[in-house]
Amino acid sequence: MPIALTMLAPLALLPVILLAIVRPGQRPGALPRLSETAALAALALALGGLVQTAMGAATGAALPAGPFTLALRADLVSASVATLVGFIGWIVMRYSRTYLDGEAREGAFHGLMLATLMAVLVFVQAGTLPTMILAAIAVGLTLKRLLLFYPDRPEAQRAATKFAVVWHIGDAMLVCAAALLFARFGTLDVAALPVALAAEGLGLAGTLAVAAIVIAAALKTAAFPLHGWLTEVMEAPTPVSALLHAGIINAGGVLLITLAPLVQTSPGAMAALVLIGGLTALFGAAVMLTQSAIKTALAWSTISQMGFMLLQCGLGLWTLALLHIVAHSLYKAHAFLSSGGAVAEVASIRRPGPVAAPSVAAVLKSFALALAIFAAIAAIFTAAFGPKSPQALALGAILIFGVAYLVAQGLADRAPVALTKRTVAAALAAAVGYFSFQSIAQAIWGALLPTAPAPTDLEWAMLVIAVASFGLVAFAQALFPLWAHHPATAGLRVHLANGLYLNALLDRALGGFRTATRTAGES
Amino acid sequence: MLMTHADIAPARFSAVLDAAEAAARAIPPAFPLDATVAVNPFLGQTGEDLAATAARLARVAGVRVTQTGADYVAAIAQGTISADDLAEALAASPSPLKPANVTALREVAETLGAGPDPRALPTVADLAAEATGIDWPALIDKCIGLWAAGHFDRGQALWSPAPGAEAFAAWRAWAMHDLTPEIAGLDEFCAHVACAPDTTERAILSAAETLGLTDAAAPTALHRLAMSLGGWAQHARWLLWQAELRGDTDRTLVDLIAIRMIWDEALLVQTPAIAAQWAETVAAHAAPLAPSPDEVALAILQDAADRGHQRRLAAALEGNAAPEVTRPFLQAAFCIDVRSEVFRRALESIDPAIATIGFAGFFGLPLAHHAHGSDTLEARLPVLLYPAVHTSSAGDPARDQASRIAARTARAWGRFRQAAVSSFAFVEAMGPVYAVKLVKSALGLASKPKAEPAPEVIGGMSAEAKADTGAAVLKAMSLTKGHGAIVLLLGHGGNVTNNPHESAYHCGACGGYTGEVSARLLAILLNDPETRAGLAARGVEVAEDTLFVAGLHDTTTDAITLYEDSLPPARSGDLTRVRTWLAQAAKLARAERAVRLPGARGDAIAARALNWAEIRPEWGLAGCAAFIAAPRSATTGRDLGGRAFLHSYDWQADEGFGTLELIITAPVVVASWISLQYYGSSVAPEMFGGGNKLIHNVVGGIGVIEGNGGTLRAGLPWQAVHDGDRLMHEPLRLSVMIEAPREEMLRVLEKHPQVRALFDNGWLHLFALKDGKVDARYVPGRGFAEAGPQSMAA
Repeated sequence: MPIALTMLAPLALLPVILLAIVRPGQRPGALPRLSETAALAALALALGGLVQTAMGAATGAALPAGPFTLALRADLVSASVATLVGFIGWIVMRYSRTYLDGEAREGAFHGLMLATLMAVLVFVQAGTLPTMILAAIAVGLTLKRLLLFYPDRPEAQRAATKFAVVWHIGDAMLVCAAALLFARFGTLDVAALPVALAAEGLGLAGTLAVAAIVIAAALKTAAFPLHGWLTEVMEAPTPVSALLHAGIINAGGVLLITLAPLVQTSPGAMAALVLIGGLTALFGAAVMLTQSAIKTALAWSTISQMGFMLLQCGLGLWTLALLHIVAHSLYKAHAFLSSGGAVAEVASIRRPGPVAAPSVAAVLKSFALALAIFAAIAAIFTAAFGPKSPQALALGAILIFGVAYLVAQGLADRAPVALTKRTVAAALAAAVGYFSFQSIAQAIWGALLPTAPAPTDLEWAMLVIAVASFGLVAFAQALFPLWAHHPATAGLRVHLANGLYLNALLDRALGGFRTATRTAGES
Repeated sequence: MLMTHADIAPARFSAVLDAAEAAARAIPPAFPLDATVAVNPFLGQTGEDLAATAARLARVAGVRVTQTGADYVAAIAQGTISADDLAEALAASPSPLKPANVTALREVAETLGAGPDPRALPTVADLAAEATGIDWPALIDKCIGLWAAGHFDRGQALWSPAPGAEAFAAWRAWAMHDLTPEIAGLDEFCAHVACAPDTTERAILSAAETLGLTDAAAPTALHRLAMSLGGWAQHARWLLWQAELRGDTDRTLVDLIAIRMIWDEALLVQTPAIAAQWAETVAAHAAPLAPSPDEVALAILQDAADRGHQRRLAAALEGNAAPEVTRPFLQAAFCIDVRSEVFRRALESIDPAIATIGFAGFFGLPLAHHAHGSDTLEARLPVLLYPAVHTSSAGDPARDQASRIAARTARAWGRFRQAAVSSFAFVEAMGPVYAVKLVKSALGLASKPKAEPAPEVIGGMSAEAKADTGAAVLKAMSLTKGHGAIVLLLGHGGNVTNNPHESAYHCGACGGYTGEVSARLLAILLNDPETRAGLAARGVEVAEDTLFVAGLHDTTTDAITLYEDSLPPARSGDLTRVRTWLAQAAKLARAERAVRLPGARGDAIAARALNWAEIRPEWGLAGCAAFIAAPRSATTGRDLGGRAFLHSYDWQADEGFGTLELIITAPVVVASWISLQYYGSSVAPEMFGGGNKLIHNVVGGIGVIEGNGGTLRAGLPWQAVHDGDRLMHEPLRLSVMIEAPREEMLRVLEKHPQVRALFDNGWLHLFALKDGKVDARYVPGRGFAEAGPQSMAA
């Protein structure tokens, strides 16, 4: 069998990276156009690889044998994620081609972006842990330089330092995990590990390794409490944010999904993921509500979405986690790149007059209505695609709470009937979309990833806690206009707007409040 | 009055409160980005000249208000500043500190090199940062920035603070809970805030006492603090501007000054080691402001640069072209905006039957407008004026209602996307769809918004009122007779994608909106038989076959949209002819503009407008340098490079010189704001510029911050004045040239001392034109002086 074309995708970027080393300055000739072309070529190769893998006509490739084998693998998961990264890569490079025009370090920017993209492409299809670790370190190094694209900005220096510390601690965790896994199983090949695991069991070394992997994933997805690095990286030009929030931030999730057979063997790791993920999801979402700067709000949204993805991993819903990664990347890349439209968007929000606030009764009604919509559509899809696990149903419940919010807005007492109809239709569309994409994801990746285990007592407890806490927050959210401006909640809003000060504490620990060399901005 | 403090403050303290109010008024207003207009960043300093302003702003903000010495040296080397320009500027300076001769002046420029690099007097926060190694100014920017972003938010965050609270009270409630300063090392700041007086005035007085601010030191010390708040202070100043326009008042900016004082008070209490340095700083603030010899020299060099431009412009104005005798087929009225000059020149070059006119793009109609399906009241008029006519584009009520429902559904969907918990459902249900959106956006495949229904005056107008309004507008436009068969009334607007500063490209005379509504309303009014019937009695002769047609000039792509609001079908042939001309002219104009846009070709400009990554879709009014009010014959066929505001004005038809007074007090002032905004954003981008577009972060729907926090950035982004290699706006003060009797212009200045101050202090230059040639220069204090052939020859 031929090797998957996906593996050539990183190589397609290399010539332009080399060219950027020669032409790092302003208006570097054809470089901006070439960098888009290279990114497009990488996307085409990734797509080709995806087709190959889907037809079962491709294999991975490895360099030297032994513990430090560097290898790329070819399966539908890696090929899909690589295609996603390639697509985002093409979009951001096309954007950068215009956006960076005239910058003093324009050529260097394209080179660094492509180098980062290359490392991410390697990371997502890494066949062994050493490959993954090297790629992760490379991402950290190039991204740090991108964050310092305006090196004179003290804020950029702080953000870059914070990012590098957190990111590379994650890398160190991965190195520990690799050492422990090698000690236990004698292999670092991600395909061989589950086989060895089935034969030998996780053991103490394996359990510790999984713990280290979970920590690494939490650090790389900017999970609570070390999420602070992600909220400050808009110090770099917008395409960097888009690539980061749509590509790089997925590293933690990809890591977990790649090693899913190992992680799922450790109930403690799974419980930890549910707790960290659920907490981060709610915390990030709550903080996001208070943020008035668009990119900052988007960064908090990423934190919470990645938390939700960790929660899905913890529940053993690996396909859904992967779907979430794909869906979130596409959404967030668009949100960042189009964030310049926020002025027009806020103005248009104000145009049709004040928002009608739903009453408690309306909110309860909306929850019931959403439940009905959900039950109907879930029944149809279950009939068509088979029954759902308790974890999947719990996640579905969380979706209902979200849809209920949409319905509640249409049920507000002062909302006209036409609006009610439309929000219900939108809710219906959202529910259909949700189940359709889920079914598609299951069809593509279901066979490759472990199925959710039958819940134990611990997992049942986790499920109940998760559903209850999300339900409570959703209910409070729907009633928001009734309490958000009450003086009693003013303090809460201050603390949340400050992200519960965790970032300030991290700043203090890392010397982020110290004076830096301040120089003039742009002139 | 901003505040009533007579009953609170002992007399000896009132100087500090007066200083706070004066500091507030020294700040220029920044209009929110949804409908922004250019503002003179030196609005609070128009009572002083450039050198005095240089001294003041150096002290309170550390900014340079002229170009660098090296810039002037380069201009001298290139010949854009000639030896004569230097000599004249030197001679014109009344300062006793000016260099002895031109050689000495040039030496100053050479010595200053890339400078001057003025340093502001330190704040307590600056001194404390040096003493403790903690970046207090950055922390203050961050903490005040986070609070202010929420306080001034217009709908970005779902959880905004309780509406309606006064800034000071709101901040106190915030700061008593915010632990960040204490985590950073400012001990007991929450308690400090809690113990501070709970009214603005008392808080200012108490903090001034702790800070040891003397009456003499307070004015610049408080101005210094207000400037340190950057765009937040300017946004607050806008609130005051709006309030005063309605005859009200607003105290937000004084609140902000009080807030900033409380910070410095706390830092001074915590850092006693800086007491001596701070006392020295207070003494320095108390010292009278006087420009240094360098500042005087730089002001003279800037004057010389202005004179260099005036010399070239005067050479281009060679006197009137032969006036048109035959009736034009097409008369096209454009906004005075400098971007129109390019298109007008192109259009007139196509056919001798075409004539163009320049007039402020709101056509004199002071509109408060509701767009289709919108509750938002849009003030579509120059920001100096208060709206008087209420209009609406609602159109068919059923359609208006349907649009509202659609907008509310979109809003509910947006909240579904943003809210806690539902955001997860949103991503899972809709995320993959964004793949399509990404491709569409990346390839610029946006769908065009549909034109709104024709605007109408709410409540209608009587036949009398229609004729009155129509006649008044036509008279102000010097359009009382000899109308063409088609009279185009063209508003304008920019066409950009994904750009927070979109409204800055729209029509300043329409309050930062496009000129569409004003033009359509006027065309409908002037075609109305009731209006037409009453015009003759009011001294305006409009031929029976004259048809008024409204249009919108897209300044980015130079495409012109015509609005066929119930135009007679019989004239469609005429309109086709007009459309062909407009398309030809657009092509010429695009070719001319493309030369200045980096990497652009004429045929690629339309694609640039749709590119969501484009940060330089057009140059806006960059380059603007002159304002010419004269008959078009003075400028016909002259290439003014898109740098001149052209206002059609025929003084001989101006009975009582009411139109002259209007021109000098309204369009000239608006043009000066635009020119000085470009000037400020070019020479002092760190203070008066909007920052780097690449790291803009839109906040609260009102403005942008850079990166992850800090102060709001008002003014034009760096990419709007700079192409990466060089400034695209040559920083010059506007040269106003008016063809009118000198004594009449002097009379208008006499009557409007605030406008006169702009000319007397050199923020504007005034020239009298005669027969299309520069005739005399206004010299402050001396009236008009003949512009001799030597000084005005090329």
